[in-house]
Amino acid sequence: MPLAMLMEGETRTITSFNGQEELKRHLQDLGLIKGEKVRVVGENAGGMILMVKGVKVALNRGLAHRIMVED
Amino acid sequence: MSITIALAGNPNCGKTTLFNEITGSRQHVGNWPGVTVEKKDGIYKKNKDVVIMDLPGTYSLSPYSAEEIVARDYIVKEKPDAVINIVDGTSIERNLYLTMQIMETRIPVVVAMNMMDEVEGRGDRIDCGRLSGLLGIPVIPIVARTGKGLNELMEAAIATAKNRRQPEQPPIFDSQLADAISAIADALGGADSAENNWKAIKLAENDEIIARAVPSDKKGAVEELVKAANKVSDGDAEAKIADSRYRYISKLVKECVKKGSKGSQETRSDKLDKILTNRILALPIFAGIMYLLFACTFSENFLFIPELPSPGVWLAGIVEEACSFVAEGVIGAVEGLGASEWAVGLVSSCLDGVGAVFGFLPLVLVLFLLMSFLEDSGYMARVAFVMDRIFRHFGLSGRSFIPMLMGFGCSVPALMASRTLESDKDRKITMMITPFMSCGAKLPIYAMFAATLFADSNQTMVVFSIYMLGIIVAVLGALILNKFAFKSETSNFIMELPQYRIPTLKSVLIHAWEKVKGFAVKAGTVIFASTVLIWFLSSFNFSGMCDMEESLLASLGNGIKWIFAPLGFGDWRASVGVVTGWIAKENIVATFGQLFGNVSEETVEAVMAGEEALPAITEVFNQVSAYAYMAFNLLCMPCFAAVGAMKREYGSWKWTLRAVGFQMLTAYIVALLINVVGSMIF
Repeated sequence: MPLAMLMEGETRTITSFNGQEELKRHLQDLGLIKGEKVRVVGENAGGMILMVKGVKVALNRGLAHRIMVED
Repeated sequence: MSITIALAGNPNCGKTTLFNEITGSRQHVGNWPGVTVEKKDGIYKKNKDVVIMDLPGTYSLSPYSAEEIVARDYIVKEKPDAVINIVDGTSIERNLYLTMQIMETRIPVVVAMNMMDEVEGRGDRIDCGRLSGLLGIPVIPIVARTGKGLNELMEAAIATAKNRRQPEQPPIFDSQLADAISAIADALGGADSAENNWKAIKLAENDEIIARAVPSDKKGAVEELVKAANKVSDGDAEAKIADSRYRYISKLVKECVKKGSKGSQETRSDKLDKILTNRILALPIFAGIMYLLFACTFSENFLFIPELPSPGVWLAGIVEEACSFVAEGVIGAVEGLGASEWAVGLVSSCLDGVGAVFGFLPLVLVLFLLMSFLEDSGYMARVAFVMDRIFRHFGLSGRSFIPMLMGFGCSVPALMASRTLESDKDRKITMMITPFMSCGAKLPIYAMFAATLFADSNQTMVVFSIYMLGIIVAVLGALILNKFAFKSETSNFIMELPQYRIPTLKSVLIHAWEKVKGFAVKAGTVIFASTVLIWFLSSFNFSGMCDMEESLLASLGNGIKWIFAPLGFGDWRASVGVVTGWIAKENIVATFGQLFGNVSEETVEAVMAGEEALPAITEVFNQVSAYAYMAFNLLCMPCFAAVGAMKREYGSWKWTLRAVGFQMLTAYIVALLINVVGSMIF
């Protein structure tokens, strides 16, 4: 399911990403790779804040819909 | 023999602080050729043979952004004698990802393990000696903010540079992938060359730039081998390589980092984020902070206390007085020397031009000090996140909000603030629409027309509606530019939210000073030249010195007035007003004072404040054409100082002229619509 469906406080493992190569590479550079556990630490109507490898990363919901996590 | 040491690291890792600490004031700031990425170099303050090159902050050496390409080209092509890789110890796992990639280039490298005080504050421990042993490169613990460990760091870096001690390729890849990569390196000309090995990794990672540079006779073989590399990586070598790096890093971290008891506790940053990015509180808090920022810079009644100037206004007053004192002295001296009338005129207009620049400086300085504080503290990243939802509706990301907001104060610092925007498209569009935000200097124009042509009860509404017009046109402009000129989708928003940190005074001062200095030098030359030009045009005609009515400027006004006729103000004086407005928008009122009945300076000041009317302008303007004139001056090319700032930020005349063209066209269309529709209704 998409990462965007998670609620604040939930932790899931990333399974895949649907989108351009370039963006996928940037996500990798920020630590958002397949098999990585991410925790949602904040959200609002427009986007969410994730904790990845000990760093907070903010992203918009459109992008969060394209990152898949385990069900 | 001088040696060059490059600083590389993630954004927010403390790289700039370290750079300031080791170079002191001996810095040089410019742009990298061809891109508007800031280039900074300096000299090590304890050894002037050591040149320090500050590379842009990057997360990796893959070509994602202009910054990353600049950083990687510098490391791979210019080959500095050594690289200092700054690693934020509080997010060591993510930061070491870049370290792996720098080591893959086999450039001599030293790791500076920064923020060690915060690491210890959390109760964690990083064993730098152990990490150094595992990586085979020096790892030096430092605290860049306090300068702790910097001598050891520089000694290690200089020694590494002198020995040219290349790091080994870290044992990241499994044997299948490692074999596939060295096969690619062989096809490139030999796996014994560090460069071929690095290129081979990049090719396996699907790097377009490297792939394009492969010689055509080797292309076929290389492509086959890249396919083979993908085959041993479940079809995606790029993902496998990234994964392998991170796996190796987790092993390193497990060996070298001991998490303390406070590991799972909420940090102060987390608590602050609960409030500052809260879905309900975030916007009101942000509005409050922005209000304070503007009050500190522009307010004449600071904190609602009548007549109390804000720090910005207070400083500006002092500078203005000093300027006019110097100017009077100089003019007196020139007159005393018996100089002719035109020479005195030229000197005084030059001084006015320079004075105008200096008058801006304190406001720009205060605004940038506060903005730098907010930026360095980590808050601006949250603002961008909070505003993103709103800005997405018209095709921009949340980061565009800050420059646009500053535009209500002054376009010059606002345009400079646009350089913090990541996406090139957003930056270009934001700079085109930022001058539509009505700046402080435009207010006197509205005051003049409102007091002269509109009933008391409507005046506030007239001025307010002009401000709203600017916002609406900016939003529509952004939508149109996005749809037709740039034709790209709204860029995605993804951004690290760094930990909140109280910035050091030194770094805030340096940060603000860099911007102010650039403004004074670059915009100053533009203002200065244009002032002299307009002075010349307004004081001369072909037979010599004359009154403004007979000057070249008047001829120019008569020559171009037909352009403005469809907008309702085809008069030479109105046309001249538009031109003098480009020097400074408030000039329009002074010009009108001179051209419509030669009123005194006191009257002009009263007109600017909206306290007095200028009845003579009713000869030319009615309510509709006055409104069209206000709209035109709001939207057309901003003052030369702002154009200078645009040129500096776009880095090219081509884009500056495009932006000015867009603004002119927009102004013309909007004013035309106002005149045509308004004339039908009223």
